[in-house]
Amino acid sequence: MRKVTFPHMGTSVFIFSDLIRDLGNEPIVPLQPNKKILDLGVRYAPEFACLPFKVLLGSYLEAMERGAEVVVTSGGNGPCRAGHYGEVAQKILDSNGYKIEILVFDSVFRNPFQFIRKLNYLNKAKLSYWSIAQLIRFYWRKLQALDKLERCTHKVRPRALNKGITTKVFKQGIEWIQQSRNLGEIEEAEQQGLLALKNIPQDPDRMIIRIGIVGEIYVLLEPAVNHEIEEILGNLGAEVDRSIYLSGWAHDNTFGHKKDSLHYARPYLGTAIGGHAQEGIGHTIMYAQNGFDGVIQLAPFTCIPEIVVKTIAPRITKDYGIPILTFFLDEQTGRAGMQTRLEAFTDMLKRKKRQPLKVVGGEKYARVFGN
Amino acid sequence: MQGYLGIDVGSVSTNFIVLDDVNNNIKSSLYLRTNGQPIEAIQEGMDVVSNELGNGFKILGAGVTGSGRQLAGAIVGADAIKNEITAHAVAALTMVPDVRTILEIGGQDSKIILLRDGVVTDFAMNSVCAAGTGSFLDQQAARLKTPIEEFGELAIRSQSQVRIAGRCTVFAESDMIHKQQMGYSREDIIWGLCEALVRNYLNNVGKGKEILSTVVFQGGVAANKGIKQAFETVLETKVIVPEYYDVMGAIGAALLAKEEVALTGSTKFKGFDVMQETFLCKSFDCSGCSNNCEIIVISMGKEIVGRWGGRCDKWELS
Amino acid sequence: MEKTKIGIPRAFFYYIYYPAWRTYFESLGCEVITSPPTTKEIIDLGVENALAEACVPVKIFFGHVQKIKDKVDYLFIPRVMSMNGKTSYCPKFLGLPDMIRSAIPNLSRLIDITIDLRKDPLTFHKAAVKVAKDLGHTAWEGLRAFHKAAHIHKDYMALLHKGVFPNNAIQGFFSENAGKTEFAYNDFIENKGSKQTPLRLAVLGYPYTVYDSFVNVNLLEKLKGMEVEVVTMEMMDPQILKKQRNKTVKRIFWTFSEMASRTAYHFFENSKDIDGIVHVTAFGCGPDFIVDKLMEIEAKNKHSRVPFMSLAVDEHTGEVGMMTRIEAFCEMVRRKKEAVI
Repeated sequence: MRKVTFPHMGTSVFIFSDLIRDLGNEPIVPLQPNKKILDLGVRYAPEFACLPFKVLLGSYLEAMERGAEVVVTSGGNGPCRAGHYGEVAQKILDSNGYKIEILVFDSVFRNPFQFIRKLNYLNKAKLSYWSIAQLIRFYWRKLQALDKLERCTHKVRPRALNKGITTKVFKQGIEWIQQSRNLGEIEEAEQQGLLALKNIPQDPDRMIIRIGIVGEIYVLLEPAVNHEIEEILGNLGAEVDRSIYLSGWAHDNTFGHKKDSLHYARPYLGTAIGGHAQEGIGHTIMYAQNGFDGVIQLAPFTCIPEIVVKTIAPRITKDYGIPILTFFLDEQTGRAGMQTRLEAFTDMLKRKKRQPLKVVGGEKYARVFGN
Repeated sequence: MQGYLGIDVGSVSTNFIVLDDVNNNIKSSLYLRTNGQPIEAIQEGMDVVSNELGNGFKILGAGVTGSGRQLAGAIVGADAIKNEITAHAVAALTMVPDVRTILEIGGQDSKIILLRDGVVTDFAMNSVCAAGTGSFLDQQAARLKTPIEEFGELAIRSQSQVRIAGRCTVFAESDMIHKQQMGYSREDIIWGLCEALVRNYLNNVGKGKEILSTVVFQGGVAANKGIKQAFETVLETKVIVPEYYDVMGAIGAALLAKEEVALTGSTKFKGFDVMQETFLCKSFDCSGCSNNCEIIVISMGKEIVGRWGGRCDKWELS
Repeated sequence: MEKTKIGIPRAFFYYIYYPAWRTYFESLGCEVITSPPTTKEIIDLGVENALAEACVPVKIFFGHVQKIKDKVDYLFIPRVMSMNGKTSYCPKFLGLPDMIRSAIPNLSRLIDITIDLRKDPLTFHKAAVKVAKDLGHTAWEGLRAFHKAAHIHKDYMALLHKGVFPNNAIQGFFSENAGKTEFAYNDFIENKGSKQTPLRLAVLGYPYTVYDSFVNVNLLEKLKGMEVEVVTMEMMDPQILKKQRNKTVKRIFWTFSEMASRTAYHFFENSKDIDGIVHVTAFGCGPDFIVDKLMEIEAKNKHSRVPFMSLAVDEHTGEVGMMTRIEAFCEMVRRKKEAVI
């Protein structure tokens, strides 16, 4: 059987690996990005490539050690660099003497014939298109269930009495979803998971701040790359919301559609410039309007669209009064430095929310902060 | 007498402060080199502070900050374990109640903190580049064979402007040599370096930040009058250097401990006696799940006094 | 009546579109002001306002804007999405007016008209009319100015193809006795007395890096001094470059990058026409990690007969370091050539 691997992206791994197996291939499940993968990527990638490229290249190399012959990945049509990554990775691997085929799936609308050709190539089990459509529907539903659970953890984690329990329960929920064999079972697993999360003992009186996370899709969706920022923030008493979920579904239900975010972004960034620049700006504004206390921008170091966003960010802070903290992530970003900044950021937002006593008197060592 | 203890364990220095509980007057202050051995630095400092205070002094609470805050917290039994931004902001607010901008430059890191109405509204810390930190000056001082302590005095005696290109220490050095060869005086060059550091700092952490007066300048580098004057020139406003500029983190930690103890009503402080003990720091990888968290363990003799680093509560102890 | 002053920063598109833009605005009775050639001061101004993470060309652009913003009524910073109906530009170009507006305080008014030939075949005409109207002229005047500009642009590009460097061409167009003087060609004169073997090198890179003699530390002049004939991508015949379109599976998204990589592919394939390829890339350039890697792989794999060097420049690039690198490269290429001859 042909051994197929694919990019690792957060919790969704098992879904893609099951899909690839159902199509009649042997999935080589990518590992969660770790030091070894990063080292491999850094060794072969150009210095100024962004972190996602280095991680992906590294994980392809790691998967090849376990026999992977084909990589399935998504494409893009610019102007963000990521659209070229498949091809560049292929050329880098070729020129270093590695034998692997990178299959880039671009939008089906752009070149339908090419898309079908690649799909046929992958469809070793010779499933009918109807069955493939059914499969995709089935796994899409799983993705939605996964995102729904994840959104629930964002609410529960900051209020949980016991640190770490939320993640544990979430993992259990992921397993339930993974094991479900039909749409009904997914529904059941989802309900069960949500209930389990809601049953985690919580402190309803705890002061909670709300933080929106925007930025580039890969660093947003891959906890191993963003140092589990959502978990850190949750444990610091912050309820988080992301501008991007893989299924997209969950978000549209709370804040309206992508269209709205573009509408808000337009006065600041008049056009789509690639990546998720406009969405990031739009969501930042929507978070501000929905009473969020702060926004965190996550971006790979050297990411062009996100550099544009960061340049514009101070103006949004000024106009909407929402603090924005930016992290440009690269292979040198340390967890400790990030933790300190996040602590300081949540501290700042909490103190702001608490509205401490105004400074009284000018005497030198006056007590100036209230509780 | 009674009061609060604050400790700031940084990579370069470990600072101690004791505030009396009535009017936050400083009872004891100490600045030690960490030298890569935070445990020793903490023990030595505690010893010195305890001697200075004498027997009659009671510690009502202890706070720690800095990159070694977890470690220090476990050793002394801290009530507040806080990040440097909050600690510095609280300290500056106490000293200069109407502060709206804090410029902090230490040996290897720098930060800017913006406050409005006594609340932190924005901050930034230097990420990779050291060009806006004290080590920039240290390197150039070595090059000029001038003790860093004399830099400030020399800089403010400068008569003319020398612009030293220095977005990076390496380039600053070559440009400085070039300027030396052109015959500029040492004073002028040092002033040029001070200005370069200020520009680097503002271009690095200060980018896009609205710097309003009252401006407070703290951290080890604030000892340098040249830098203070360079800030005043560039920002066109008066810059205040608080009396205890080099131990502000520790002062903030003590104030935060006071705040915490007021809430909880009791302290976790273990007293000065524990300083006679031997502390041991170890770590292991937890195999409880696939996260493989690195757990750090601090033990005093046979007793484990602190344990952290995990993503769940399994090992947590502090 | 005082003429309306339009500012065009001497950076980015300047090297390709300045003659056309200036002609357009002058036809509308405006005065066009451009910033002086890049200096240390301009880069410093840029570094102050642009994000540290941004590439050097963006910082330089910011600096040029700073330099002229107070001397003009309007700054012309169009949002150029696509000029050929196919490819686009780097995201930083697309967000340029937005970045400038957010990052530079006390800005004069911006003309940030969008030009996107992919979406609208009449985009140039519409932009010309819109800008003219905004400046208080009629649509007819706008169109007339556009046609004049288009005409100049054609002449200008023809000059570039022939080997005139942009700065010389621009000078020729707008000097006092324009039309009468000969253009200063990239006159490569073989020095008969010299013992050196003459070289022909392709210097590839974006116009705003290759022709900005401050950021590349006088690269072109230096090469001339070393008796090197320089070929840039603007001198290439577009039809010849088109033949290289199958070298990548996907078209390179960015216009300038595509030109640079196709020129490189062309010379790798026709190694007799060139002695070496130098890729000038600006520090922090996003697309270039892809372009440069493609060139490097091509040079290593099949066509090692064409020596290739990647030359990264940034705001600190020193005279000495630059000289060392190009001297070493020319030396190597020369020895190789002499050995073959």
